[in-house]
Amino acid sequence: MEVDVAFLSRRGTAIMRRSQRASGERVCIGRGTDNEVPLNDIHVGLRAAALILRDGVLTIDRLDNSPLEVNGSLVDTAPLKPGDEIRLGPYRIEILAPPDGCDGAIQIETVQPTAGVADRLGAGLPIGLARTGANKRLYAWTGFVVITIVCLAVPIFVLSGGMLHSWHKGAPNATLPTLVGLSWNPGSFSNAHRFFAADCTTCHEGAFAGVADKACLACHANVGTHTPHGAALAALGDRLASMRCADCHTEHRGIAGSVVSEASLCLGCHRNLKEAAPAADMQNVGGFPNAHPQFRATVVADAAQNATRRVQLGGSPPAIDRPGLKFEHKVHMDTMNYPVLVQAGRAVKDCGDCHVAEPAGQGFLPITYKNQCRSCHQLTFDAVSLPWQDGRVPHGDDAGVIAAVWNDYAGRALRAGAAASPAPSPAPTDIQAQVSAQAAAALRVVFDEKRGCALCHYSTGDNGTWDASKILADALPPKANPAHVVAAVKLPVRFLPNAVFDHASHRGATCESCHTVAVAVSNGTERLMVPGLDNCTQCHGAGDASFHAQSTCITCHDFHHSEFGLMRNSVAGAMQ
Amino acid sequence: MSMSDTAALAATRGRLSRHVSFLAYDNFRYLKLALAAVAGSIVLYVAVPPYGERYGGGWAGYTLGTVGALLILWLTWFGYKKRTYDPERKYLQPHGSGAPDSAHQAEDPSRLARRLSAHVYLGLALVVIATLHTGFHFGWNVHTLAYALMCLVIASGVYGVVAYVRYPRQMTENRQNMTMAQLQAQVVAIDAELRRRVMPMDDAMATIIRGSLDNTPIGGSMWRQVTGHYPDCGTVQAIARLQAMPDAGPGAIDDTWRLLRTKLDEKAALVFRLRRDVRFKALMDIWLYVHVPLTFALLAALMAHIVSVFYL
Repeated sequence: MEVDVAFLSRRGTAIMRRSQRASGERVCIGRGTDNEVPLNDIHVGLRAAALILRDGVLTIDRLDNSPLEVNGSLVDTAPLKPGDEIRLGPYRIEILAPPDGCDGAIQIETVQPTAGVADRLGAGLPIGLARTGANKRLYAWTGFVVITIVCLAVPIFVLSGGMLHSWHKGAPNATLPTLVGLSWNPGSFSNAHRFFAADCTTCHEGAFAGVADKACLACHANVGTHTPHGAALAALGDRLASMRCADCHTEHRGIAGSVVSEASLCLGCHRNLKEAAPAADMQNVGGFPNAHPQFRATVVADAAQNATRRVQLGGSPPAIDRPGLKFEHKVHMDTMNYPVLVQAGRAVKDCGDCHVAEPAGQGFLPITYKNQCRSCHQLTFDAVSLPWQDGRVPHGDDAGVIAAVWNDYAGRALRAGAAASPAPSPAPTDIQAQVSAQAAAALRVVFDEKRGCALCHYSTGDNGTWDASKILADALPPKANPAHVVAAVKLPVRFLPNAVFDHASHRGATCESCHTVAVAVSNGTERLMVPGLDNCTQCHGAGDASFHAQSTCITCHDFHHSEFGLMRNSVAGAMQ
Repeated sequence: MSMSDTAALAATRGRLSRHVSFLAYDNFRYLKLALAAVAGSIVLYVAVPPYGERYGGGWAGYTLGTVGALLILWLTWFGYKKRTYDPERKYLQPHGSGAPDSAHQAEDPSRLARRLSAHVYLGLALVVIATLHTGFHFGWNVHTLAYALMCLVIASGVYGVVAYVRYPRQMTENRQNMTMAQLQAQVVAIDAELRRRVMPMDDAMATIIRGSLDNTPIGGSMWRQVTGHYPDCGTVQAIARLQAMPDAGPGAIDDTWRLLRTKLDEKAALVFRLRRDVRFKALMDIWLYVHVPLTFALLAALMAHIVSVFYL
């Protein structure tokens, strides 16, 4: 048979065709050079296929194991007609109409380029990370946009959109908006504020607004101010008035609380307060314990005028104490040395017999005649040489003493007549005179220089001395609104009112370990037993002390004094 | 060309041939600068405490934060300067009139190596500055997110420094004074030789060699390039199959077998070098796919951090 074989190659639009004839019993196609149609590619078997005429029809047979595809189907043998397409390796063989003298015509074309193009190594697989499809710019933009939306836009939307809810009993906090709000939280909340912390807008007013005072005052409206109303403070007063709550009270700084405890905050003003505001009568403070002024106790200067003065403590001997009473601690503490008194239950065993702690333990209940003195000092006249018994004068009402004695005798006279009680000589002319005489006799004892009221009290007379004749000169019968006889007494409850001292937190110490009892009572002159700075600094040190109790200004002093009025009013309205 | 131009160019070339690592640039100038910045930050942190515990606010906290934020912006700017770098512009033309002054050129502040040296050392200093700014307070919030992203960026940068110091030398040694194109050309030549030799051989041998010719990948996915692990390499398999063939056969086939085997071995060695080169390049590039995207994520988080501090 004779077959026309054409090789086709394309370069761009140019087509080149090279024809030759192949003849033989059968026309073999394969890689081997002994084939009638040699195909120069290793993907074709040595002797891959053969074209033969079978019953006058051009047929192709597969000769080896490499796949033979005719018109898209894998075959072992197939008859051919013009237009059929055979695939063998990288070659496409098209059957054409045979020209005259030929039994068949085929056209061979390479459809898969032979391996061996110089740049195959680079063009096939990506070399270099940039060609793998990874895109730095895409990733960067994605990250930027996602985080801007999630971390900036969404929280702003949630915060300004009123989606956060304060705590309501029985209503849970909104979960997702709360989490979004928390993503902006820079630090944990103080314990007392946690119950509303889910809603940032409780304190934070709005965009770039900070925390205004009125947010705090919504709950803390009655907080006291720092200085007395009308105090002359000049520049410092302006500074104080312009302070915001947030200047001293911080939040998001931990569970422990939000008050700034550093001394430097207070010292900003108190370092030179003496020069800046002399009317305040404040010493300069440079720190604790080293530059803290000596304590000054507030004692009574004039009980009648309610005047006080301040006395420096810490001296040796301690400053003299003039409480307005003729009271001596030494005398009372010596009662333990008298068995008679001990047996009668009238000896003072320790400080606590008279100084009774108030229920919270911070201080002591006020000393009163009724609670502290009456058990021993009953104002009766048992031991006095007067022929009556159970005469008793009231305490605390010195004008009423005269009336009480008078009434006592007047009452006896009314009940039993003139002869009921022995009358003093000379015999009186009438009942009133008799009652007056009896009352005067008793009152002479009551107002005696060494007995009665004078035992403990000073009189309103010259130098506090008692002159019974003078007092009684025009006293009987009693008048309405008589003059006071006893000088006013005011026993202070707290000697250091500008500080907060809590006895309860010091209960491990004995009274004598701080109060200079021994010194104060040693020589009979009553002296202040309140200790000074040196006593405290034995245990208390600076804010960063390692071997002393750490103490700063606010350990002992308050900033807000409710007794001075409301801070809000003195701060020209809430600071915005 | 004038004498001064010739001398100047020679001096320039000579200077270019003296490699100075970006880490040692200008006598470790930027290392010293970074150490000074770190020392200053520590002093500020210790000496100016706020009320209460140290945190991101207060005088010192805000200063550290501002310095850190400006540093982050400046460090990001390096990415732009890197991309606009033009080597022709600075070195090969005389500076101003007359001969270029080599000392002046060494101080040219826009040299990329200078910028890179500053970028690396000040980026490391940023870790300290930003950590002091946190006051060591961390939580599940956008502030710690910004800090974490910054740490990841810096960590990937540290990898980059290590990669830039190690791999170029290894790449050069791997190439053995040949370019990648030369290596590829050699592989293509061996492929052509193999194809020619196996053409007249039987189908079994042709199948074996075909495997090597068709399926010897170089490059591929990111994972493949970075690991350098090509488990189904056709050349390796062809060698194995060739090795497994029985030794019997006429003398001519033995010689051809030996030739094929030799060529396959040569090809394998070259291909491995090519793949190693691809791997080194990939290792030197991979970290930027972390470093750059995370930088922009960090910029967004930084913006959120700053806005949130002043918004509320």
